[in-house]
Amino acid sequence: MDIKLPRLAEGVESGTVVNILVKEGQQIKKDQPIMELETQKAVGSIPSPESGTVTKIHVKEGMEVAVGQALIAIDVEGDAVAAQSAQSNPVAAQKTVSERAQPAPPQTERPGAIQDQSVAHRYDAQSGAPPPAAPSIRKIARELGIDLTRVRGSEAGGRIVLDDLRAYIDRLQRLAFEAKAAAAEAPVDTGPRPAPGETMDFAKWGPVRREKMAPLRRTVSQRMVQSWTTIPKINQFDDADITALLALRKKYAPAYENGRARLTLTAFVVKAVAGALQKYPRANSSLDEAAHEIVYKDYRHIGIAVDTEGGLIVPVLRDADKKSLLEISSELHGLTERTRARKIALEELQGGSFTISNQGSIGGAHFTPIIYAPQVAILGIGQGAAKPVVIDGKIAARMVLPLCLAYDHRVLDGADAVRFLREIIHGLESFPEAEVKLN
Amino acid sequence: MEPIKSEIVVVGAGPGGYAAAFYAADRGKQVALVELNPRLGGVCLNAGCIPSKALLHATAILRETKASAARGIELGQARIDIEKLRAWKESILEKLGQGIKTLAQKRGVQLVYGRGHFEGSQTLRVETAEGQQFINYDKAIIAVGSKPAMPSAFDLGNRRIMTSTEALEIPEVPRDLLVVGGGYIGMELGTVYATLGSNVVVLEALPSILTGVDADLARPVTRAAQKLFKEIRLNTKVVKMATAGKQIKVTTQVGDEQRDEIYDRVLVSVGRAPNYIDLGLENTRVIKDDKSFIKCNAQQQTDDPNIYAIGDVNGGALLAHRATREARIAVEAMFGEPSAFENIVIPAVVYTDPEVAWCGLTETEAKQKGVEIKVAKFLWGASGRALTLDRPDGLTKLIIEPETERILGVGIAGAGAGELISEGVLAVEMGATARDIAESVHPHPTLSETLMEAAESFYGTATHALSKPAA
Repeated sequence: MDIKLPRLAEGVESGTVVNILVKEGQQIKKDQPIMELETQKAVGSIPSPESGTVTKIHVKEGMEVAVGQALIAIDVEGDAVAAQSAQSNPVAAQKTVSERAQPAPPQTERPGAIQDQSVAHRYDAQSGAPPPAAPSIRKIARELGIDLTRVRGSEAGGRIVLDDLRAYIDRLQRLAFEAKAAAAEAPVDTGPRPAPGETMDFAKWGPVRREKMAPLRRTVSQRMVQSWTTIPKINQFDDADITALLALRKKYAPAYENGRARLTLTAFVVKAVAGALQKYPRANSSLDEAAHEIVYKDYRHIGIAVDTEGGLIVPVLRDADKKSLLEISSELHGLTERTRARKIALEELQGGSFTISNQGSIGGAHFTPIIYAPQVAILGIGQGAAKPVVIDGKIAARMVLPLCLAYDHRVLDGADAVRFLREIIHGLESFPEAEVKLN
Repeated sequence: MEPIKSEIVVVGAGPGGYAAAFYAADRGKQVALVELNPRLGGVCLNAGCIPSKALLHATAILRETKASAARGIELGQARIDIEKLRAWKESILEKLGQGIKTLAQKRGVQLVYGRGHFEGSQTLRVETAEGQQFINYDKAIIAVGSKPAMPSAFDLGNRRIMTSTEALEIPEVPRDLLVVGGGYIGMELGTVYATLGSNVVVLEALPSILTGVDADLARPVTRAAQKLFKEIRLNTKVVKMATAGKQIKVTTQVGDEQRDEIYDRVLVSVGRAPNYIDLGLENTRVIKDDKSFIKCNAQQQTDDPNIYAIGDVNGGALLAHRATREARIAVEAMFGEPSAFENIVIPAVVYTDPEVAWCGLTETEAKQKGVEIKVAKFLWGASGRALTLDRPDGLTKLIIEPETERILGVGIAGAGAGELISEGVLAVEMGATARDIAESVHPHPTLSETLMEAAESFYGTATHALSKPAA
């Protein structure tokens, strides 16, 4: 049987093979990982659905594979007869396997010609009549969702017959296969870049080293360009006095440690942000441009930007507004650990409605984060530091946390944004001890 | 009465409604069919296609008999028994109506007799003879059809001013009959009454009869009608009608000139209006289009997702066979299948003598839209079969796409054109070329050869005509 790439998560249609963990002829057990696959933001392993012997590996490392595509073929255990006959007649067995594995065999001879034939054709009659095809053929096309104006008819007057429909589907499959193969070899278009002729020869000025962008890097790059070029963004700066908050943290941190959680500043911010989002739901919304509607979400799933070796990844902490500080603390810890180890599930990276990016542990003051579309706002946190602050006419040393709220001006106006940010700051400056206390 | 729960309710048991109900039942749905008229079949069976064709056939014999004398067979003076004619026609309707009822019962379709009224998107109230019957349904199909339009200026409450519904009953054969409107209903019924002996005058406000039909196809009908009728008066409007004893005084106007005429009866055939008054559509989300017909999409679904509309009530060509096709589409759409009204042609037939039939693109339409076409014609005067039938007054023509030679439309005028047009329908739907028709062997001697010869004439090689390739 062929093991095909299963559905990984909503909206994820393909991935790149990073590592093949089995060899042809190898005995494998059910649920044993057969390969590692890198999708938009995570690397995951694909388990075998059955025990058996690997007879054929259909993919190569670096190849992009789509959901439903055959990855490897195995002889299932217990199916001894089949396995035996396969051994006694290796040619036939191999033929069957390759036939099944490649419903659309890559045609390497003349890919250009294929493209010309199938993509360029467009039926357009001056009379406005639909493409000539019998009602029975039109019914099949309708059922398969095929646009007959794309199909070239081979009969007199350009009439489309069943063979033409078959040939068209065949070509579509081949093209899809070639596109994937090409994608695995060539870097993905990441948006605006110098035309090929303008590529700089950096080596003129000294030795250089080139490194392929990892899929994750490419995804980050695409997302950032998309956000930067489509969202009219405003940055709102402010500071929070977290002297009292840090005292609370110091007081309760040991208790949290006992509860196997780390009471971090981020946990407090998540809690404060969740509260503020409840009061200002627009900051938790998305824009549906096509419908001219603002989509308000009745959940507050907070994305947390995590720095990993491979680059930026944003896992999502769900229903932050319904969780206690302890729950948030322990969940945050787990999420970041799994993200850094690249063991995070794809589902855990999806559905965020607001994002927090905390660079404070590394350093730095105010910075302007990029909005994680389709969200409409993101909070950037710098490093808290002791600063002189005027209180009641006197200068005092206080711990000050630099904050920046970047927001989408299509959805939020300046006044909304300031009110929302002040609400977060208020939440941090007067964080109720009752919420920190463990029972 | 206890409310009925039904998966599907169909309102109206005409050729759209009963087809939908049967198809849904055949596919395992529980169906209720609501009909006001005790005899199922709708306008088509009760006051349209069937009775008019019965009368046209019966009266055609009379014309044949007269023409027969010139061929050496004299049948003497014909005697007309109107009562017997009416009874024969009625027996056909009864037979067909019973047939539909039996088919419904055998399929387990629940018949509910009475006027339907929507109480909401999923409830229909039916005023039955026994009282109110509520039907709760998942999906409804509106198939209530249309009725003859009667402009209020003509609506005097005088039974001598008839619509097609009354005229089909043949209450009498009037001496002088005025037909207002030279469309297909006026021309067909005018033919019946003229053959039965009435002096028929047809008034048409537009410059030609059978508006929309290509002029060359309408010409044989006009010629025949000019002989059979007393008069066909074009560009003429009826200003007013008034009761004048046992007659009707009609004031007509041509240009600025008005004149009064006296007729024994008047047939008003100026179009048809959808039948949804009192249907309670205001309680649903169904909306109407700019021509006041019910608006629906290619799946026959109205703006109310639970309600579909098929047939005359949604406008377009008011033809039974369109309703029947739409019935299938609506049911398939309810089953979630990717069905859609994508038929290229809805054939149309005018049962005058000679008949006119066409499908697909017409020459008139092509001209209006500026579509480049070639026309290939074959005149029936050169058809052996037409001459043996003593009907050389015919014409067959093909509308062809120049570059691909694809058949875009077919038009036929002549005896039996209605039966001949189906080959044209198949050709257009299949995307056939003129060559396909020219090279298909047609039996000799038949009128169907005229289609083959028209196709041959496109290439300048018709056997029985001297033709150059179509310009």
